[in-house]
Amino acid sequence: MRTWRLCGELFLFQLVLVRYSIVEKILKKEKFNSLITGLKDQGYKTIAPKKDNNLIMLDEVQSADEIHLDHVQTNNSIKEFFLPKTEKILSYRMEKNKVSIEEPEGFAVKTVIFGSRPCDAASLPVMDKVFNWDCTDKFWIQRREASAIVTIACDKCDNYCFCTSVGLAPDSKEGSDVLLTRISDDEYLAETVTEKGEKLVESLGTVFTPADNPGTETLNRQVATVEKKFEIEKVKPWLDENFVHKVWAEFSTKCIGCGACTFVCPTCHCFDIVDECTMSKGDRVKNWDGCQFKMFTLHTSGHNPRSTQDQRWRQRIMHKFKYYVEKFDSILCVGCGRCSRVCPADMNISEMLEIIATENSQTGDKE
Amino acid sequence: MIEALRKKAEELLRSNTVNVIYGYGEGSTPERTRPVFITKPEDVSKLTWNKYCVYNLTTYLKRRESRKLGKPAIVVKGCDAKTIVVLIKESQIKREDVYILGVTCNGVGEPMATKCKACDVHTPRIYDELIGEKIENKEIPFEERYAELEQYEKLSEKEKWDFWQKQFAKCIKCYACSSICPLCFCDRCIVDKNQPQWIDPSAHPRGNLSWNVTRAYHLAGRCINCEECQRVCPADIPLNLLNKKLAKETEKNFKYRAGYNIDDELAMATYKEDDNQDFFK
Repeated sequence: MRTWRLCGELFLFQLVLVRYSIVEKILKKEKFNSLITGLKDQGYKTIAPKKDNNLIMLDEVQSADEIHLDHVQTNNSIKEFFLPKTEKILSYRMEKNKVSIEEPEGFAVKTVIFGSRPCDAASLPVMDKVFNWDCTDKFWIQRREASAIVTIACDKCDNYCFCTSVGLAPDSKEGSDVLLTRISDDEYLAETVTEKGEKLVESLGTVFTPADNPGTETLNRQVATVEKKFEIEKVKPWLDENFVHKVWAEFSTKCIGCGACTFVCPTCHCFDIVDECTMSKGDRVKNWDGCQFKMFTLHTSGHNPRSTQDQRWRQRIMHKFKYYVEKFDSILCVGCGRCSRVCPADMNISEMLEIIATENSQTGDKE
Repeated sequence: MIEALRKKAEELLRSNTVNVIYGYGEGSTPERTRPVFITKPEDVSKLTWNKYCVYNLTTYLKRRESRKLGKPAIVVKGCDAKTIVVLIKESQIKREDVYILGVTCNGVGEPMATKCKACDVHTPRIYDELIGEKIENKEIPFEERYAELEQYEKLSEKEKWDFWQKQFAKCIKCYACSSICPLCFCDRCIVDKNQPQWIDPSAHPRGNLSWNVTRAYHLAGRCINCEECQRVCPADIPLNLLNKKLAKETEKNFKYRAGYNIDDELAMATYKEDDNQDFFK
């Protein structure tokens, strides 16, 4: 029986493996314009990195000239195209004995996100889990279905990047439909990762050209080397044991309690629902919210279960590296480093995780 | 200078003059520093001083977590010291609640912060101990101090409106601007009050406009121009333009500069019969 079951499992496993095989093509930089035009002709909105004064923002582009590729990371994450910073979820009107409700339509627009980073793409399947959980979030799900992700592997990184410490890499394929890797100054190797990606590449005809030498080993793939900062396996066991520990307060005294870290994070997904209304009608609106605000957990009674910043900071770490792992079997962090880059007080999350991993090793030694 | 700072900090902790030093320490990268809270004399070597010490550490006077550590000595630049004056005048702290470790400063940031370009407080105007060679504070003419407004003031009303619409559209409502501001000390901000809802919490055009304008107005005649709001804004909104414009109007109308002289009466909390009232129309 057991043998049969094992065989069955192996068979299934192979099915998963063979279900999709990667197609390799070449995308030349000079074809970027035809790519955007091709997408527009098919009714896609294209989002790509764009320069806006001191920022590099993922934003809608109309032509290839607007695309900016010489950067480590965009300032905004991919999340706002699926979970916008603010959105109306319904409108209502109250008349005599009646309440009428109008639900928004047309929010899921056919979109291609071009040139986002592998860490951003990897955040999407992680977030799919929570948005498909007990309450399925139609806004997230329909936008996900309407979108394709064409990622560009990182050819550079900075001190804040730590994807390799959370099980990813600068050329991870998780969450992407197509992965582009720079192979020369003006050429990218395009690897289709999903059927959706393959169809998209096919639909664009001659924009992508066949690879001369199939097999990526022979190509000069330009991928950044991201230093591994800590061992993720050591983080959760320590968190399991140390809800109360002096390190939380020591590390977070400098935290000013704003929401910059959570809002730039591609995996922080907390939101607040408010009614913006007059006496008889109104809009119900969903807004980003964050666990670092003291208002976040304030009860109507006036009691606040997380009354100090160290408790809020602990929550951020616990949610990402313990609670989410227990609930959804995924780490709620992709190592993009945005939170540390923008932190007004230079709170550095990978440094916190390094401390935790080291603490864990030391405790282990004692035992 | 770093050695003198560490020595003084150690002395203050050993003598129990203060319980904690709010200072600058090494940051994530060489181009960055971070706030550090030193409570043990043996830890003073963590203190540093360099051109990347942009933060205004007086913001930690409003935070419960840092206040819990006891009486502080705060490392302040000339600009930051003005905050302490405003906090005293606004009855938030008493002079004896804080030991001021003034540092002389020739400008911070790389490239140098805008606030440093017309600085007339290289040496703090208030301190308990001064670290570093005294630098003469030269008087800087009014126009020069507000030079960064020149381009902005040339815009027409419509252009100004369009400019701010575009800027505020970027706001993500993270409230880093108010969280970092040492003078945004309300325990419950107006944006967090919802009965009635004065300001829409949503990051849509109406919510963003009302938030950003209200934040700036609450600082009229109070902002000391540390530029921290602008530095921390993840959306790169030039918030200091608003603050600076309001400071200019306050100075023009009431001859008042926030935090400059401890004996000056607060512009927004004092009524004088001869106040300029031309703006009532």
